Amino acid sequence: MKKAVKIPLTVLGIGAAAFAVTFTVYFFNLDMKLTSMIEPILLNHYDKIPRNQRI
Amino acid sequence: MAFKKVDLIKNPKERKGDQELGIFYTGKGKVMKRREWRGVKDTLYDYTRWLYIMSVLARFIVKPRNIKGMFRYRWMANYLAVPHMMDKFTQGLRDEPLRITHTAMNFVIYDVAQTIENIFRGDRRTGNDEEFSKRCVLTDENAMTAFMMGFKNSKAILREVPTMFVANLLTQYSTTHYIDVAQEFGIPGDVCPMPEAEAGISIDDDFAVLGCCAVQVNTTCDGSLMGNGLIAKRLEEEYGIPTFQLSAPMRHREADVQDYAAEDIKMAIKFVEEHTGEKWDWDTYFAAAKRVNDATRHRQEWLDVNSTYYPQFVGSVFSLYNDTNYMGNCGRSPLFPPVDAKITKLVRRGYERKTMMAKEYRHRCIVWGVQPQYNIHMLYWMINCWGVLPLTDMLSMVNTKMIAEEDTPENREQAYYDMAWLNENMIMRNRTHGGYKVLVDELWEFCEKMNADMVMMWEHMSCKALDGLHGQFEEQGRERGIHIVWVCHDLCDPRVYTRQAIRDEFSQYMRTVLREEPLDPSLEFINDENAW
Repeated sequence: MKKAVKIPLTVLGIGAAAFAVTFTVYFFNLDMKLTSMIEPILLNHYDKIPRNQRI
Repeated sequence: MAFKKVDLIKNPKERKGDQELGIFYTGKGKVMKRREWRGVKDTLYDYTRWLYIMSVLARFIVKPRNIKGMFRYRWMANYLAVPHMMDKFTQGLRDEPLRITHTAMNFVIYDVAQTIENIFRGDRRTGNDEEFSKRCVLTDENAMTAFMMGFKNSKAILREVPTMFVANLLTQYSTTHYIDVAQEFGIPGDVCPMPEAEAGISIDDDFAVLGCCAVQVNTTCDGSLMGNGLIAKRLEEEYGIPTFQLSAPMRHREADVQDYAAEDIKMAIKFVEEHTGEKWDWDTYFAAAKRVNDATRHRQEWLDVNSTYYPQFVGSVFSLYNDTNYMGNCGRSPLFPPVDAKITKLVRRGYERKTMMAKEYRHRCIVWGVQPQYNIHMLYWMINCWGVLPLTDMLSMVNTKMIAEEDTPENREQAYYDMAWLNENMIMRNRTHGGYKVLVDELWEFCEKMNADMVMMWEHMSCKALDGLHGQFEEQGRERGIHIVWVCHDLCDPRVYTRQAIRDEFSQYMRTVLREEPLDPSLEFINDENAW
């Protein structure tokens, strides 16, 4: 295949794949499902930080 | 007296995409099972805005000092939920209202990200940029930043906004840890949870530490005074950050308090000059004053459209954007006017096309009282579930007066009175302080002007200033034939009053007094008690 055709097709293919992946993440709320699993880990971490609690 | 009636407005267009909006929460997790389908065009638009938000978050988190801040400060965990907040605020929206909400709120997200970046840059525990920190003035959360309008290089840092207020927009349980800490140290449990949480953050040593000085205001209530007292003590004694108390008069509409108020602004400016080493610049001030007037004109136009049959910019985001622009920005940033102009363009287009947000509009409602609608999607829920249109809210009914914007010798003196006026008319304070005229009487004027037949009265159980006037609202509302729907809550403590308990109070009125059935029955009970 000629380079002039191959390059735009590759770019188009990458763009389409990126759209398919990100749109799936967006629509099924996978980003928020993942971050909601990270939250308890972070909260455990904050509990372990020594703090100078005083008024 | 018979109840006032408003025309029923039916939407000739069918809403594209999902019709039932109560199906997204399963009760198991913290988030929705999927995002809303809004038809091809609007879903793609919403998707591009999601990409934009992700890019803002990515640009924020790639910086090492921000990562350090993320692992140091508990409140930062709430920022995992930024896209979830946008989904709450855009539920059921299509066409122009969807675009208006994104335009406004996406800019607020950008602005808050910048604020956190600045906080971590100056913070002694993370960025520790001492030169930058020397230019920062810590400013109270509920403070008009008018006294900073003439400082070109010094930065007003509203430290409590991202730490407490915005965190609570993101997740409903964001403050409970800090409330518990405050109560462990003897703060009573019936104080407003907002200043109590701020006091708890200070006690828990979870505020970033930066700035050459701080300015606190006598905010909206006795709870705020309590919180500020504790925060100032730690700032001054432990971190060596001097604090100025900017005290607006209580009866701020009286002519005889204005000299005092202007004098106090002069003293605040002098205090900032002394600690930052920067001189007040009148060119900077009057440029900011022009932007304040510009924002006032835009807000008035949005409210004018909301007085018609086809409001376009409503809900929590209407209030949040106004709070950010009017109070947090107060004309200082040139980035706001283009956003205002874009919103106005969309508002005009939506009005011309008679765009509606629900199948029908049954009631026109003014939202009054101390409002918790930010951390729940209550106002959008009212539209979608019951066809009740929230025309405006108490915190958005602020200054309408134009301030002096030309640099003349007379206007330089007038400027102190204008800044004092803005400070007195800070959101919430302009209604909770100032007596029954500004809190009760003017509400009926707004009902008349905006043709409202209903007032949704938020009754914050820990706010004594408003609870004391319960009977006055009841009696005067009855005289005018206005439906007063009382909805109780405890602001940012969902353990006392859950989201569903809040919605139930509204639904009870709709079913028992008005004998109406919901437009979308799937929304009447939502399993979101454990949700973000």
